[in-house]
Amino acid sequence: MNLHQTTRRQLFRDCGVGLGKIALASLLVGAEDAFAAPAIDNPLFPRPSHFAPKAKRVIYLFMAGAPSQLDLFDNKPALVKFDGQPIPAEVVKDQRYAFIEKNANLMSSRFKFSRHGQCGAELSEILPHLSEVVDDITFIKSVHTEQFNHAPAQIFMNTGSAQLGRPSMGSWVSYGLGSEATDLPGFVVLQSAKGTSGGPSNWNCGFLPTIYQGVPFHGKGSPILDLVNPPGIDARTQRESLDLIHGLDQHRLDAAGDPEISTRISAFELAYRMQTSAPELIDFGQESKATMDMYGAKPGEASFANNCLLGRRLIERGVRFVQLYHEDWDHHSDVEGSLKRSCGATDRAAAALIKDLKARGLLEDTLVVWGGEFGRTPMVENNAGLGRSKGRDHHPQAFTMWMAGGGVKHGLTLGATDDLGFHITQDPVHVHDIQATILHLLGLDHKKLTFRFQGRDFRLTDVEGEVVRKILV
Amino acid sequence: MVMRSRIQVGLMLGCGVGLWVGASAFVFSDASPAATKIDFPSQIQPILKEACYSCHGPDKQKGKLRLDSRELALLGGGSGPAIVPGNGKDSYLVRRIQGEGDEDRMPIKHDPLTAEQTALVKAWIDQGATWPDSANLAGAAIAKHWAYQKPVRPALPDVKNKGWVRNPIDAFVLARLEKENLAPSPEADRVMLIRRLSLDLIGLPPSPAEVDAFVGDPSPTAYENLVDRLLASPHYGERWGRHWLDLARYADTNGYEKDRTRSIWPYRDWVIQAFNSDMPFDEFTIEQIAGDLLPDATAAQRIATGFHRNTMINEEGGIDVEEFRYKAMVDRVQTTSTTWLGSTLQCAQCHNHKYDPISQKEYYQFYALLNNANEPEMDVPSKNIDGKRREIEAKIAMTQATLEERGRSLAATRPSESQEAWEKQVAVKAAHWTVLEPVKFSRNYGGSIAKLGDHSLLFTGDNLYRDEYKIEFKISDLRFEISDLKSRITAIRMEVLPDPAQPNGGPGRSPSGGWLVSEFLASRGLPLSLHDATADVGTGPGNAIDGKRDTHWAMPNGDGKPHEIVFQVKDMPHTADAPLAITVVQNYHQQENVGRLRISVTGDGGNVQASGLPAEIEAAVLVSRAQRSAEQQTSLRQYYLAVTPLLAAEHQKIDALRASMPAYTTTMVMQERATPRVTNIHRRGEFLNLGAEVTPAVPAVLLQRVADQPRNRLALARWLVSQDNPLTPRVVMNRTWAIYFGRGIVRTAEDFGVMGEAPSHPELLDWLATEFIRQKWSQKGMHRLIVTSATYRQSSQVSPALQQRDPSNELLARGARLRVEAEIIRDIALKAGGLLSEKVGGPSVFPPQPDDIGAESYSGHTWATSTGPARFRRGLYTFLRRTSPNPQLITFDAPTSELVCSRRNRSDTPLQALTTLNDTAFVEAAQGLARRVITEGPKDDAGRAALAFRICMARAPDADELGRIVAFHQAQLARFQKNPGVAKQVASSEAVKAPEHADLPQLAAWTTVSRALLNLDETITKE
Repeated sequence: MNLHQTTRRQLFRDCGVGLGKIALASLLVGAEDAFAAPAIDNPLFPRPSHFAPKAKRVIYLFMAGAPSQLDLFDNKPALVKFDGQPIPAEVVKDQRYAFIEKNANLMSSRFKFSRHGQCGAELSEILPHLSEVVDDITFIKSVHTEQFNHAPAQIFMNTGSAQLGRPSMGSWVSYGLGSEATDLPGFVVLQSAKGTSGGPSNWNCGFLPTIYQGVPFHGKGSPILDLVNPPGIDARTQRESLDLIHGLDQHRLDAAGDPEISTRISAFELAYRMQTSAPELIDFGQESKATMDMYGAKPGEASFANNCLLGRRLIERGVRFVQLYHEDWDHHSDVEGSLKRSCGATDRAAAALIKDLKARGLLEDTLVVWGGEFGRTPMVENNAGLGRSKGRDHHPQAFTMWMAGGGVKHGLTLGATDDLGFHITQDPVHVHDIQATILHLLGLDHKKLTFRFQGRDFRLTDVEGEVVRKILV
Repeated sequence: MVMRSRIQVGLMLGCGVGLWVGASAFVFSDASPAATKIDFPSQIQPILKEACYSCHGPDKQKGKLRLDSRELALLGGGSGPAIVPGNGKDSYLVRRIQGEGDEDRMPIKHDPLTAEQTALVKAWIDQGATWPDSANLAGAAIAKHWAYQKPVRPALPDVKNKGWVRNPIDAFVLARLEKENLAPSPEADRVMLIRRLSLDLIGLPPSPAEVDAFVGDPSPTAYENLVDRLLASPHYGERWGRHWLDLARYADTNGYEKDRTRSIWPYRDWVIQAFNSDMPFDEFTIEQIAGDLLPDATAAQRIATGFHRNTMINEEGGIDVEEFRYKAMVDRVQTTSTTWLGSTLQCAQCHNHKYDPISQKEYYQFYALLNNANEPEMDVPSKNIDGKRREIEAKIAMTQATLEERGRSLAATRPSESQEAWEKQVAVKAAHWTVLEPVKFSRNYGGSIAKLGDHSLLFTGDNLYRDEYKIEFKISDLRFEISDLKSRITAIRMEVLPDPAQPNGGPGRSPSGGWLVSEFLASRGLPLSLHDATADVGTGPGNAIDGKRDTHWAMPNGDGKPHEIVFQVKDMPHTADAPLAITVVQNYHQQENVGRLRISVTGDGGNVQASGLPAEIEAAVLVSRAQRSAEQQTSLRQYYLAVTPLLAAEHQKIDALRASMPAYTTTMVMQERATPRVTNIHRRGEFLNLGAEVTPAVPAVLLQRVADQPRNRLALARWLVSQDNPLTPRVVMNRTWAIYFGRGIVRTAEDFGVMGEAPSHPELLDWLATEFIRQKWSQKGMHRLIVTSATYRQSSQVSPALQQRDPSNELLARGARLRVEAEIIRDIALKAGGLLSEKVGGPSVFPPQPDDIGAESYSGHTWATSTGPARFRRGLYTFLRRTSPNPQLITFDAPTSELVCSRRNRSDTPLQALTTLNDTAFVEAAQGLARRVITEGPKDDAGRAALAFRICMARAPDADELGRIVAFHQAQLARFQKNPGVAKQVASSEAVKAPEHADLPQLAAWTTVSRALLNLDETITKE
């Protein structure tokens, strides 16, 4: 009896428009071949994209809390001129703010800007390391969103909806493409600084099957929950235990005939392999001192630097989507000092990641994305009651993200904002456009990557989204 | 079979919707399309629906072609008729789906049709393209969709194998099997049946003794007796209540960034109790949707309204509270619609429903039915707490009774602290206040304001950030010295007063009863100039009059006592009869509004300040001793006795008693508002984009008859379970069925609409729906019916041929074999380990989980691991923190409680394997099971192995299984005997200590055996 064939059938049928659709659909070249493929009953088995991809994998550096574009990327000399003056009412119109009043005063950046690289991209002095790799990067200064509170905005950026319960980008991507990792999950989440406002909803699989959920890895200790055997269970006992489980499960399979049992046998085998491969993954022993220094990584630390290095090691092992969260950018007070801290913790490693991927020939088919959930106001946030001064409030109208590698242009700056950095004046890019573009670079058509749930075909970009063609190579 | 070195993951039952691929697989298994008459609704329409309607349906008509209407399809589109009845080959539709000519193969946006499907369509046209009215979806015909018709009790079908039929369910199932030339499977043996029944009805496996008793029961009604025993178990409510909690999206925290803990577990207890008492489903519905609106609503009926309080609450700084209430309301509409109607009403939030006949207006009319509640917390009555409080109050009263005498005797020795001296002392700070009666009052948004008898205003209901209270007083109505007072108000006092309606008793509305005032503005025609603010508590009273909206008079926590702030008035303008207008600005990024306040004025000269005395005491102190009323004398005396340092020791004692007073548990409820909220359409579903106002109503397609009653939640609730509602009984029965058999009769349990799947056994579904009503909505009655059917009692063993023929068991030719739910996996392990606490109900508990789970959430909440029996309670009592849910539960597909969940995924992943292998709960269970095996089992290894096996799987192992286990045990034992230190590590833990003088190597070896057995597929599967 060919159990795998039966399992396949069942999988396709039960997942109906889900996997079945993916596999059957024109999504897959040669659906018949896919049927014949030996491990199609593995939902993470790599699947061809809709069209030839430019990027095969993603490392998404999510700067949670929302960095100030005006102090990092979007230089506004006019703010120096009008520093301390109230922003004109006709600029603000009916925008709502989380904390400040609508007539708050403008505040210029305390950092100097200068041009870098062949492309002459303008960057703040507080990003010295990033300035070394600007020629590999596309900056988008005209991103805008619909949400102005952290949790909903983070979830919107990740799932295309501020309503909870939708699948995240990483889940969509592993659903669409599977993963090339043989003994690691397809979508891995790493966190530094503190937990994110959006929480696990940021990497939730929503209504997609649970296997596509982002799996948080831990920077220190055991990288995956429950990876380590209980005290006293050594490798030999563990192997013998799994052999006993396998044998008894197989015996039951022969009697009961339920192919689900063979799936469970495989899951246990993979679990066992993860137990051996994951510790090797987080062991930086094989990394050279030069590499460690370039990232600023230190063994055993739960830092952004370590996570960047870990991110590279994950994609080297075939993981499809790695998302790094650094939740320390919500600078309602003292933007200057706070940015020194946050950039100090992230600038070196983010730039090192680009350099390292490039040196290893991985950058050309790896997409690196950097950005927060919204921007920050050109107006100052002072609030005696809250002990805040010289901060910036939430600003959904315009912010900057950057992308590098896998099919995006080198040294490009797209979009612009007005003199005060308040509104976008050129090439607006909505969050759904960012999402459509990331999928596009991976060879996925955001309008075709759908999942039927509650009578409707859902997709990451909801009913919107245009690929930002201007940044494509 | 060769193992594959790739991730292999199991069947995600219920992860998708489309079914036709598999369905057609067996349709074609034994007949060619042309040979039999093709049935459009079951064979052709699903193909068109899946592949064509998105571009050629109600929403879009690409190429002017529409394929959801017979007339329009025959008419064709821009390229002429699409269907030529009788001539499939030349029909444009067939040519396009075959990709003939130079044009793109249809459908462009979907997978090409299979050869079988194409042949089917062609054959259907060849046969004349018969298209019955019932399947003519477009236009008015859509209203005839089967699910919108009231179910009619069908006649029982004739079957050949009459002896197999135990009850009507079987007749429907067997009729279909006979049509398919399939035979049912034999009945499962008693061991399998008792394990299946126990897991299904109470969510716990049977003990070996229970298995033996059932297997040996000679009674002809042994099976029925067992069913009755299990249905009467208090664990039945836990098992079935948990499924209801999936729909209710129950959680113990508010969600979003702050994710604060909430108390709503009394609602969970209510659900468990309701199931256990077999509350009829109609009552069960009405109490949850509108219990507060029932005449003389009981506490339990109000607790039931917690159903719709399980929505998330965003407390992130700087949000618009009303925006998130809107989101919660949207969630309530979706939840109501999914839970009772199996309808995707939520699709009409942004635009008219694309498939079902529900307009956007109707969506907001439905929303309006739910949109008129305040969302308070209530104290849960408790006789136990009543008693304790009475006891403490009696002790306080006893101490208080001594105050008078003791105070008098002490004052005699220390006259400087007598009441008279004290009065003189405080009279200096007192002023003659006149309480003003508000004549007009409003606030920024429409929460409730109540004027109380003491002229205070109580603010309840919506609790926005940044609220402003505007209050007017007619000063000419004052009872004394009117003309004089108008010209010489010298100070204004605002009392902030406690009230049981506020958190912590108030006075404020922050979660801890705190409050703040950013600005206090007063005017009489012209603004008054206020100065020298003083308050008895809080920081920065002057901030309330500094002209800055970001500085505040603030008190972060309330204490349930009155407090005050006093402002002196400079140059009261002479503006005749202009009313005194007060504005209280509360400009903060969180809820810190004042809950109850009262305004008074005085004309006293001098430096009027906050006295720190309650208003009535301050007034009484200023009355000369001779002129005080009896009431004033008493209250003054009592107040004095309560504050005089003479009685510090007694006060301490009273304070300690008060502090020991147990609080009532609170729970979150709905409370209908007196003044209805206005509901508007939100254009494109956007919060700020308001369209026309709507009146409350249910969608026309579902509305057969409307009773003449107020259109509120109660009307909605009654309609949901009215005899005229075609959906509710079907939807509920379908979900119940799905829990037993792994798939619903309508597989899309959440969508009975046009885009949902057709029922596999439509007559059975309608029979169950009508029977449910006939049995007066008794859920236990329906459970009994289902589990006593021959259909249910079949063996789940499946032959390769049947597996091939019907992989998902849609036809029910065998029993269901399903991995159990996340909570039950835990319960099985704990019970096997002899650790399970069988306590029913109560607050959530904190079983061990990895340390960094909470630390990695934004809120950074800690997880104080429960000890004692609370460590080992059933999975449904595990505290559910939305932003860092318990990993064991989530890994096994428990919902995250953000949205209604009508069917869980059933996945099979390596992370699950790691959980059952290594998670603390399972390690402890293995240690517990090892102990049981040694203490309860025989001395020989085979006997012990058999016991362990039976504890986990109910059945006895066969020789092969026994051999493997014993050999494994021997190998492990040998190793542990060489290394007793390791043996102790394996066998013993903090929570499950090895007994003294235990043979540690033996215990360790049996622990490893137990661990393996707890990880078997069969252990966590209902067979």
